[in-house]
Amino acid sequence: MFKSSSCFIFFWLGVFLFIMEGRGSAVNTPASRPVTRRSKSYGRSCVEAPSYFWQTPGHLAVLKIPNSRGTAKSQTITNKVDPEHIALLVKNEWKLSYITPLHHFRHTRLKSYSKHLSAFIVAEKQQGVAVEVGLEAGFKVTFSAVLGLAETDEDAETVFIQIQSKPVFAAVADAPKVVWRGWLTCVNGDLEYLRSLPPDFVSLPLFCTSGPESLTTLVKSWFERVFDCNFGCLALNSTTLNWLTALWTGCHPTCNIRHLKLAWSLPTQPPLDVSYTVNPQDAWELWNSIHPEESTDDRIDIQEVQSFINGLEAHFFRHFKIFLSAGTLVKVSTALGSAHVDGKIKIGNSDYITTLLTLLTECALLKMPA
Amino acid sequence: MADLSNLAGLGSEPSGQIDSSVSSASNRSLRLAEKEKRKGEADPFGLAVKYLSQVEAGTVVRGNDELERNMVRVETVALSKGLPPEVITVLLDLALSLNAGTANCTRVLKFLIPATVVPQEAIVKGVSWLCVGKMPMNAQVLFVRWVLTVFDLIDCKDDLRSIYGFIFSFVTEENLCPFICHLLYLLTMREHGELMTKWFNFFGRQPFLTQLLALYKVFRPDLVTLSLPSRVRTGFKNHNSTWKVALSAVQRKNKGAVLVDQSLSLDVKEKPSSRKRKLHHLAIPPLTSAFDSNSSKKVLRLQELRSFKELLENIHNIELPAQMGSLLGSALALHYLDCVQDESAFLRLNFWLGHSLQEEFLLCPVDGSSDNTSEACRFLSTILFSQQFLQEGFSSTESFLYKFLSVWDGCLLRPQILDLLSDIPLMPSFYMHKLLFEPLKQLYFTSTVFFKCSVIECLNSMLVKWLTWHSVSASEGGLDISLNSNSSMTMTLSGFMDSVMELVRFVGLLASEGLRLESCHVLLLNQTLAFYETVCDMFLKFSLPLIIMPPAGVFYPALFATDSVSVDRLGYIMYRYRKNLTLAKKQEQQREQTFHISRNTYKEFNRNLQAMVNSMWNSWWCVPGSDIEIDKDLIALSKVAEPWCRFDLIHHPALFSYAIEFHQRTGKYWNWYMEFLFNQGFYGLNNFIQTNTGHGSTLNSQEDGQPKSQP
Repeated sequence: MFKSSSCFIFFWLGVFLFIMEGRGSAVNTPASRPVTRRSKSYGRSCVEAPSYFWQTPGHLAVLKIPNSRGTAKSQTITNKVDPEHIALLVKNEWKLSYITPLHHFRHTRLKSYSKHLSAFIVAEKQQGVAVEVGLEAGFKVTFSAVLGLAETDEDAETVFIQIQSKPVFAAVADAPKVVWRGWLTCVNGDLEYLRSLPPDFVSLPLFCTSGPESLTTLVKSWFERVFDCNFGCLALNSTTLNWLTALWTGCHPTCNIRHLKLAWSLPTQPPLDVSYTVNPQDAWELWNSIHPEESTDDRIDIQEVQSFINGLEAHFFRHFKIFLSAGTLVKVSTALGSAHVDGKIKIGNSDYITTLLTLLTECALLKMPA
Repeated sequence: MADLSNLAGLGSEPSGQIDSSVSSASNRSLRLAEKEKRKGEADPFGLAVKYLSQVEAGTVVRGNDELERNMVRVETVALSKGLPPEVITVLLDLALSLNAGTANCTRVLKFLIPATVVPQEAIVKGVSWLCVGKMPMNAQVLFVRWVLTVFDLIDCKDDLRSIYGFIFSFVTEENLCPFICHLLYLLTMREHGELMTKWFNFFGRQPFLTQLLALYKVFRPDLVTLSLPSRVRTGFKNHNSTWKVALSAVQRKNKGAVLVDQSLSLDVKEKPSSRKRKLHHLAIPPLTSAFDSNSSKKVLRLQELRSFKELLENIHNIELPAQMGSLLGSALALHYLDCVQDESAFLRLNFWLGHSLQEEFLLCPVDGSSDNTSEACRFLSTILFSQQFLQEGFSSTESFLYKFLSVWDGCLLRPQILDLLSDIPLMPSFYMHKLLFEPLKQLYFTSTVFFKCSVIECLNSMLVKWLTWHSVSASEGGLDISLNSNSSMTMTLSGFMDSVMELVRFVGLLASEGLRLESCHVLLLNQTLAFYETVCDMFLKFSLPLIIMPPAGVFYPALFATDSVSVDRLGYIMYRYRKNLTLAKKQEQQREQTFHISRNTYKEFNRNLQAMVNSMWNSWWCVPGSDIEIDKDLIALSKVAEPWCRFDLIHHPALFSYAIEFHQRTGKYWNWYMEFLFNQGFYGLNNFIQTNTGHGSTLNSQEDGQPKSQP
């Protein structure tokens, strides 16, 4: 797609190499497991013929993981969604989980969920404490619906959860502090999958949390008990990070991405961490040489994404004689947001939130058990 | 009566019999005393406790073997099973009174592991010993630490709270202070607010004091005027290190015992102990009611059910639990699951199960630590138990297996995985190759002979399950088999036969290649023959009009096997094939059935039969034109004398030793030899010879009718 090395007209801004010893083990990129999904359900014994199709690993990868997707489009999300809600989503770094469909979840009952969850947290926290500390140690939980993020009719509306707490030993005047935030969302979820669920299930496959791990665990176990669902870590594989790199770089003409920072981890002894920062204009020009802006088709192909990453890696090799492709891409970050292979994201610009959430929803749905 | 008591074991005491004036009442008491005594003998622990409870102040400790022996006895029980409440009281009193010496005081405290609860009065008494002030400081500290450790196990804390003031007085004791503060912290109620402030300046800001004081401030802000940081780090350390391991071991053990007790009733389990583990997905959730359970409607919760009878009576008003996975935790709930019709309920169950399996085996690399594996093993065994109970596999297990097979090393939890594999329901033959055969083939050919045996065994059991299922559903209605008890999905008979054929062919391939690779390993050969014992009877036993012959790679190794069991089994298999084929032919001629067994099958059978009869009976081993025709010159090279009779009933390597034995008993006649041979338990060979040659012993002759002519 790009013919010779002469098209590397960008220059690199800075390449930082540093070596860290005794680092924790490198993060394994989980091999993307094929989804198995049934178009209908299922007695305890298997099966309908189509479901085998889903289960066939070879087929599945081709079928389910899209080879192309639309370019990132800016949309003023605040026209659709309450700006206050958006502000909440943009600030934090979120840890991602996937969650299996919720049974008997109703958006109309958020108030009672708030009460129930706060009671649950207090009860769990007080276990093993023999004193009755009274209600001032309580947690206040608020469930709220973030309307407007959903893209299709099948997408369930996003639910935002906030936990405030007032410490036991706080002064009377102290205002309760937000100690934990989390939200469940589904943006552009696979239509066939969502339609296949019986009506008493709600699929909000992506769960983002920010706050102490202990509270996250409590919230998760409450959800598991009440809606008979299960959570699992959502690590982002390198394909996802590659997609984000390309999608975000493609936005540069409309919205300054300021920098394109990539971090690699190389399996050397001792492990080598490479941080690679590219001038946004250069990155965009490379991308444009692969995927011309004026192309009529506004879809991006996985091969284009791969060529783009290969180009970046080849350039690095010319300078440092290090094959980045031998390592793992662990982080990508621009002004629009950042994503880490561990499953941590930051949303930098709300205008591109839909693209990001679509991609993440897809990753989460791919993790759904059969 | 006296006689009776004698019989019961008093015979050694002559007095019982002679002294006729003894009234029956005193006789009884004698008996009771004896019984008591014997019970005591049977229960050395009870005796030891009794001894220890009688140790008085001033007992010599050094060199007191009896004390030592009883101490060891109690200690052993304490560390393995824990101590009952009343024994705790006795021992604590013994220790703190220092009746058995100072050294024994700490020793007893260290093994004071409660089995269930700690009676409150024991602690109260302990505090009163503390007040006496005889104990050395380290024993005092140990005692308070022990109280902190077992605090949650104290049955009731009212009296402890009422001696709050006494406990509080130890705050002045420098060494005890941190522990006393912790204890007070745990005991403090609203009314205990006043005491603390004055001590505060005295000691300065120790973290444990601050913590206690902060608590006082919450209750009585008016009395605690000091300003305290709003966020106090936990000032109390854990003091349970001395007992932690033993205590948790005892508790785990006792919990296990309780769970075993109520295997049929519902285990309303306590919180899974692995909660702290980050990946707690392998725990079966406890049965709880759904969040929006309708309290107005009269429904029964599963966890309220105690017996199968109750379940039957209430089967229409039982509410599904909050988490479907919890149904796998008890047999009673499984009974209920068998009746559930709700599609969503199965979906929930499958989501949970699929998620658990996926997180444990596919997404998180198993670190191989023994703890982890044993947990996984327990989990898989629970699933297996449930599936066997329901006689159906869960669909999420099935799809998990398809994914797992391609990454499995063939080693991790092999028995469980293979058992689960054998539960896989029937599937269209098209998918079998990709999902099942390909990964299995790779594992099979790269693993040891024992793994090969397990795979064949597993596939045999799978085939039996499919056939049983077919025979049940076929008898229920028509030729089309409902693939699934809940869906309308059906599979035609020919589709089913295709699948079975694929499976049998696949095993034929595995077996013949495996036998070649493992040089006809006798275990593998026997597993293979066990599989063909199922295959040869498909028509007669399971009414499936399908007859598939074993490939040459299986037939000849069995025919020329060096062990008599394999040869006998082959005889049985050929005998059953003949029965099945005869019946099939008969039905075909009568046009009762529309099916058709191919000519090739008959041909194949006849060829095998011929080979077998020729080599074993006619001593006519190498028939020209047969499968095993070998060049005469080649055989001549081997210089074996009379090669043609090397595999007859006398010279066959598997039977040769019997022939020698028979000969040594001066047997001469052929018929006697046959009789002798069949008396060794070779029923398969007996049947085979009898049906195919008309000869044989009369052992089972009534069973199989008139002799048949030789083919």
